[in-house]
Order: sequence, then structure tokens, then C-alpha cells
Amino acid sequence: MKPEERPKVAFFDFAGCEGDQLQIANLEEKILDLLNIVEVVSFREVMTEHSDDYDVAFIEGSITDTHNEERLKEIRENAEVLVAIGACATIGGINSIRNVQNFEKVQDRVYGDKRDHYEAWEKAKPAKAVVEVDYEVHGCPIDRDEFLHVVQSLVMGREPHIPDHPVCVECKLNENVCAFERDEFCVGPVTRAGCDSCCVNEGTICWGCRGMIDNPNEEAHEEVLEEYGLTVEEVIKKFDLYFAWQKEVREDE
Amino acid sequence: MKVIKKEDLDDFVDELIAKDEREVVGVKSKDSKYVFDKLGKAEELELEYDVTILPPKKYFMPQRETLVEYETREGIEMKAVNEVVPRIIIGIHPYDLESIKQMDKVFADSPEDGNYLEKREKSILIGVNMQQFSEWSFAGSMGTATIEDGYDLMLTDLGDRYAVEIGSSKGRELLEEGSLKIRDAEPEEIEEVEKIEENIQDEFEKELDFSPRNLPWLLAEEYGDEDFWEENAEDCYSCGTCNIVCPTCYCFDVQDFNDISLEEGERMRQWDGCMLEAFAEVAGGENFREERAERYRHRFMRKGRYLYNRFGDIACVGCGRCASQCVPDIADPTNIFNKLWSDKDE
Repeated sequence: MKPEERPKVAFFDFAGCEGDQLQIANLEEKILDLLNIVEVVSFREVMTEHSDDYDVAFIEGSITDTHNEERLKEIRENAEVLVAIGACATIGGINSIRNVQNFEKVQDRVYGDKRDHYEAWEKAKPAKAVVEVDYEVHGCPIDRDEFLHVVQSLVMGREPHIPDHPVCVECKLNENVCAFERDEFCVGPVTRAGCDSCCVNEGTICWGCRGMIDNPNEEAHEEVLEEYGLTVEEVIKKFDLYFAWQKEVREDE
Repeated sequence: MKVIKKEDLDDFVDELIAKDEREVVGVKSKDSKYVFDKLGKAEELELEYDVTILPPKKYFMPQRETLVEYETREGIEMKAVNEVVPRIIIGIHPYDLESIKQMDKVFADSPEDGNYLEKREKSILIGVNMQQFSEWSFAGSMGTATIEDGYDLMLTDLGDRYAVEIGSSKGRELLEEGSLKIRDAEPEEIEEVEKIEENIQDEFEKELDFSPRNLPWLLAEEYGDEDFWEENAEDCYSCGTCNIVCPTCYCFDVQDFNDISLEEGERMRQWDGCMLEAFAEVAGGENFREERAERYRHRFMRKGRYLYNRFGDIACVGCGRCASQCVPDIADPTNIFNKLWSDKDE
């Protein structure tokens, strides 16, 4: 690809820890390959230059106030393609835990007696709740290889391959002992795969950072978790770590 | 039939690991479960096990496999790939041997699948008669608790010795390799093996209430009972676990993965499963089995009827893996088949 043919890309962050941009900054030797196919014009975490002339915008973080909303809409206007990266931007992420809590308490906890100085929405939203999103790279943090897969797919004009089946698929392919057979509980049966079941491979459980699949059987999973001895409250907590925004949308439908 | 002392078998396995150019794999423990994995030494081998998480099929049809490598620097260049690691696989239970016999037919059917067949051809299968039994297994009902063929060598535990049945010239040649201390079995030992094989039939907690030969007919008969399938599929996660752990599921998905250089890439295949929502989705977005219940029914139809009609085998070997690994516990074939059998006159 000729240097002048490379699409111009820019990175923007909203409410989040910037861990996804850090994954990209940490691509190491592959970052040079990446720069062969895209031209980065804005990336606050790694460079001082900035330009508003870009083709592809990568959005990290959730949208939590009107200022965020306006800025995101402006980016959407500027960009031909908009890609949400990381759980906060794709599903509201752990910011959306506040969506199911008492908002005044949340404000008190975060801002204390200065809480009136800050305008904040009661609910954190993913990018797609505010603007049209073309592609999503899920995860907390994102998987570097999946990010590269999405970038090269959009440079080539191909649809990226993002799984829409539960983590159980990858967990079984990796021949893990199921968390439920270790007397633990996980939300892998309703969570989107694509992470290669990395957490379970290391002996822990799936917390659901890639969000629920498009058509999860969460009712069955709630029943199963209760049958395995979790209280209703514990079951709700399992689902609220990453799924609060998604659950509310599904309930409204 | 031959007989070998247990310590001599261990020495033989260690010698194979050290000297044979093939990779030696066998049953090993993994937490509270068992898996087929590469052996570092004979003492890792666990021949008294109930069932492995995945069947040994993974050695002939890996979970993920490159079929083609391509590059586009000057025109398009493509190369077919088959990464064959010749293996000696130790500790295969009879129901898994039966499933390999079935898969051999499937992959040899036109068009032949060279990637499977070459790996299979270069493998040696050493079976072992069951000593532990998964509470979910119903191999006794499926006629797969013991097996007459399909192995290169077959072991039966006789306390301080193993009886070794030779199943092929590949098996005999392996025994001739190295310094194996082996002798002919005596009549009492042969009788003991026969007695053990007879007793194995009664060890299973789960069973079919009828002969599996009725399955193709029964499933055709009950195909249209939509209430039944919907009711039983209600708690299905569509997670594909029952497919992936099944020794007779062989469906796969093929995808091209380009390297970030955009100048090279790989065409990969990965195991797929008919319980997954996107399985029957085609270009344009049409999905031929959109509902959970349709997918759920399809798996049972496939095991008990469709593959029988194509290859002449009931494609369930009674290992119980699907039932034991299904988190909402809705995958047990004996439960579904027995319910259908008792409902058939209604």
C-alpha cells in the first residue's frame, strides 16, 4: 500500500481507563506493520500532534454527560467510519454499574461535596446509544490481535469476523475444566466469545467483559446460577458487572 | 492375545517417548478431569479414567487448523497445508474407538478430506478397556462398551499385568519395536479378559429403554412434535458445548485470516456446532434454523437418524460427554430418547 493511500485514523477517549489504547500502544513490533496500512493523525496517549482530518475514528470509553455526547457527535460527523473499542465504548462497561445504583450516592462517592459542580448523566452509555457505530472491538481490555483483524478488515473493505456465540465454545476448544465443575460460577454461557477464553484458561472464570451475545438465554442462566446455589442478589451482581446497560436495553425491548 | 507386566509396559512407553520419532500422547489428569495430552514420561499416563473432556478426534481434526497459506506480493500464490504430527495415542476407550471408525468413513467419503485422513493414517491407536465409568455414560446401551476392532492394540488391566490384543499389523510392528518383554496369554488370562468385558456391560448408570436400532424410525416419527422440542430446548444456551465435546460431531467453519501486512494470510478451519445460532446462517442473513428448538432437535436428528441414513451408523456412542458438560443439564440423549420412546404411542 502506498503511504498516501493509507486511511487516516484518530483515537479518542471518553469515560474509561485508556487501557484499550494502551493495548494498541503495546502492539510492539506489530505497530510498524499497522503504520504501513493506516496513518495515525491523532492519538493523545502516544503523540502530541493532532488533526481533525481523519477517515476512521476509534472511540474508547463510555458516554456519561452532555459534553461527551456533543463531542462524540462531532467526531461522528468528521469520520467516515466509527469504531468503538473496549467494553466501556461497546456495552457501557463497568461504568454502567452505576446505572443500577442510587445516582445521588454514586455522585457523593465520586465528587463528595463538589457534586453540584459536575454535570453527569444518571446512566453511562456505550457509543452506539448516542451515534451510529460501524464496528466494535469488544473486551476489557481489547484483544490486540482482534483489533488488528478489524483494522485490516476495514482497510480491505471486508466485514470483520466477530463471533456471536458464547465463550463456552472457546473454553471447550481449549479443553478447560468448566468453572461449574470447579464449584465456581461464570457468565461465559451468555458472553460473546473472541477472547479465546483467556481468563478461564488461566484458571479463573469469565466475568463477561465482551458483553452478552446478541441473543443470550439469560433467563435460563439466571435459573441455573440459582440452582447452583447463588442467591438472587448474587446472580444480579454477576450480571451487573458488565451487562447493566445491555440488560436494561433488552428489558425495554 | 499377549500379556505384559505393568512395569514392563511403563518401560516400553518410556522407551517410545525417548526413541520413537512419533509423538506419544495419552490420558492425563487435568484438575479433577482427564484429557489426552503429550506424555513426558510413562507415569503421567492414567489408564484408569472415566472419560476425557475432549475425544481423541482432536488429533486427526484439530480444533483449529490451517488449510491453505497464501501470499499476494506478486499475484496470488497459494499452498495447501497439512501439518501432520504422527502420533501414538494411548488409552482410548472403546466408545471413542467406535467414533473414530465412524469418522474414518465420514472423512473418506467423497470428497476425501486429506487433512484428516493423512493424520489418521499416521497415528497408532492403543485402546484400553474401561475401568471407571462416567455417571453419564450409556455405552452399554449403544453397543460401544467393548469393541472387536478399530484399534492397533487393545489393553485390558489384569491387576499386575495388561492383556494386549493385537488389532492390526501397525500394532504388531509397534510391539516388535524396542525391547519389549511380552509373552502369549494363557487360557486363564484370555478367560479373565472375556469375563471383564462381559461385566463392563452392566456398569452403566444410564441406559436406553430400547434398542438404538429404533432411533432412526423414532426420530422421524417424533420430528413434528414441536411442543416437545420447544419444551426441552427452553434452557438451551446455544453454547455449542454438546457439539464440541462430541466424538462424532465433525462440522467446521472456514475463514480467511489476513496478516496485518495485507500481503499474506491463512485459510483456517475451526470446529463449528449446529447448536450455535450462526451455524445455519447464509449470505444475505437468512438463517435456516433460527430458533433454539430447531437447533436442539437437529442435533438429536443428526445423531440418531441423519448420519445413519448416510453412513449406516447411529452417530451416538454413549460416552455421555454432552450430558455431563451441559451446564443447564438438558443435553442427555438417554433422557430425550427415552421420553420420545415412551411418548411414541400418544
